[in-house]
Amino acid sequence: MRAGRGFLIVPPVVIVLAVMVAPIVLIALYSVDVKTNLPFTPTKFTWSMWKDFLPPSEGKFPNPFWHRFEVSMVITVVVSLVAVAAAYPLAYFLAFGARRSRYTLLLLMLAPFFTSYLLRVIAWKIMLSNNGVINTAIWDLHLRSHGDGVPWLIYSKFSVGLVLFYSWVPFVAVPIFVLLDRLDTHLLEAAQDLGAGRLATFFRVTLPLSLPGVIAGFVFVLIPTTGEFITPLLVGGPGSQMFGNSIQSFFQDTPNWNYGAVLALWLVAVVFVMLLVFGRFLATDLREANS
Amino acid sequence: MNAAAGRLGKVILGGYFWLMVVFLYVPLVVLVVFAFNDAYIPALPLSGFTTKWFHAAFANTDLTGALKRSAWLALLNGIAASLLGLLAALAVTGRRLFLRSVWTTLLLLPLVVPYIVLAIGMVIVIHELGYQASLAAVLAGHIVISLPYSLLVIVPRLRTLDESIVEAARDLGADTVRAFVLVTLPLIVPALISSALICFTISFDEFAIASFLAPPSSPTYPVFLYSGTRTPALEPQVIALGAIVVTFSIALVVAADVGRRVMERRLAS
Repeated sequence: MRAGRGFLIVPPVVIVLAVMVAPIVLIALYSVDVKTNLPFTPTKFTWSMWKDFLPPSEGKFPNPFWHRFEVSMVITVVVSLVAVAAAYPLAYFLAFGARRSRYTLLLLMLAPFFTSYLLRVIAWKIMLSNNGVINTAIWDLHLRSHGDGVPWLIYSKFSVGLVLFYSWVPFVAVPIFVLLDRLDTHLLEAAQDLGAGRLATFFRVTLPLSLPGVIAGFVFVLIPTTGEFITPLLVGGPGSQMFGNSIQSFFQDTPNWNYGAVLALWLVAVVFVMLLVFGRFLATDLREANS
Repeated sequence: MNAAAGRLGKVILGGYFWLMVVFLYVPLVVLVVFAFNDAYIPALPLSGFTTKWFHAAFANTDLTGALKRSAWLALLNGIAASLLGLLAALAVTGRRLFLRSVWTTLLLLPLVVPYIVLAIGMVIVIHELGYQASLAAVLAGHIVISLPYSLLVIVPRLRTLDESIVEAARDLGADTVRAFVLVTLPLIVPALISSALICFTISFDEFAIASFLAPPSSPTYPVFLYSGTRTPALEPQVIALGAIVVTFSIALVVAADVGRRVMERRLAS
């Protein structure tokens, strides 16, 4: 078009500035006590809440919310790694073993991912809970005595990890599948003509070439799971709440918006660092999708 | 094919794939099965067939009210986010745009900012402005988290358009707006429809932002579902409604894909 149409960017940018950027700026102001929601409380710039939260903590024990952050990151990283490892063979099967039905099978695998996230977590809660489907099935089969539920089945790190894994694993397979599907199979034949076995071909040709998809898949779980709070809310116990739940509690159960703002801003910072480290793998993905 | 996996390897991979498919569908099947189970608590063995939970759910005006509220919200979000996405897509695919990559990055950022942060940030903004939490605030939040998806659907479609046909329309005397309405718009209608559907779904299922910003007297349907799981008397109704929604969304996903394939086949022949 000859006439400039750049001005059309104004309305969408304004709404993102108003609804996303302005709130984050206010969170930053709350985190240093320049603003507060408490009436009749004087406000004055201070780093004290940040010093309290970030290690090294001054007291004998580490800050409980920092500890929660560490626990949460362990869950996140473990879930992301396991999801990538479990998704790789799925993508490999779709790309090399499914032949012409590959897109039908891909749809079959992805369809549950497009149903309500909350409903899938609720379904897991029904299965895992103490009088739930799995425990009552075990009692029915007389594998455990009636009323004696498997202790780690719900309200544990296991249940939180399992449900997060369940939610993300089909989605992780997508970027890996896209790369494997596009892989020139002549390369694999060439490797084998030159004497490599199937295993050697996989580790020295296929895997390295699909690595960008693997990393993209990893980040696809890592970033959303870092701020997760719904799954622990439903199937987590006191010891398996995640960092998002700490933030939530400061705004709902025990209101202290200023301290909650410190945690929220820290979460944003962590996600941005992840984006800086892994962003180029996602960017190649987007650029390829555009071309 | 042979170079990637041997015969045994393929069998093992296939077996693993189907096991995972079972794993992915079990929770959804459980939801549907227990929607018809004649007991308050979902447990084995099954207690007999009933459809009473569906009747109970649709007789519950709190539940149907929440469902209607969410449907309206999702509809408005589908329209508003797609229109804003269209504006942004037209701007970023234009020939000249000052700070193009800055705006693109800004509009895609809601993909990675945790919803919990967005939600509490909006709570603070609303407090600072002296307003009360409202469904309008939920809508504003939903528009912002939907915008990136709208953009990612519409931009590739605009890029594949042949600019020369728009220029031809202009050479034949159409002004910018007429050329857009008569030439560009009809060609991107499919992308706009899929954007609207995606944005509808995002809003309809969204819990985090709605749980902070929807007034307690007017919960959206996911917020109602969540409170339903904490009330044993409501749980069977939650399951019944969940079974309907899950079945419906799977049918929709499959129908959309089949429709797309049929259209592509027609275009190809």
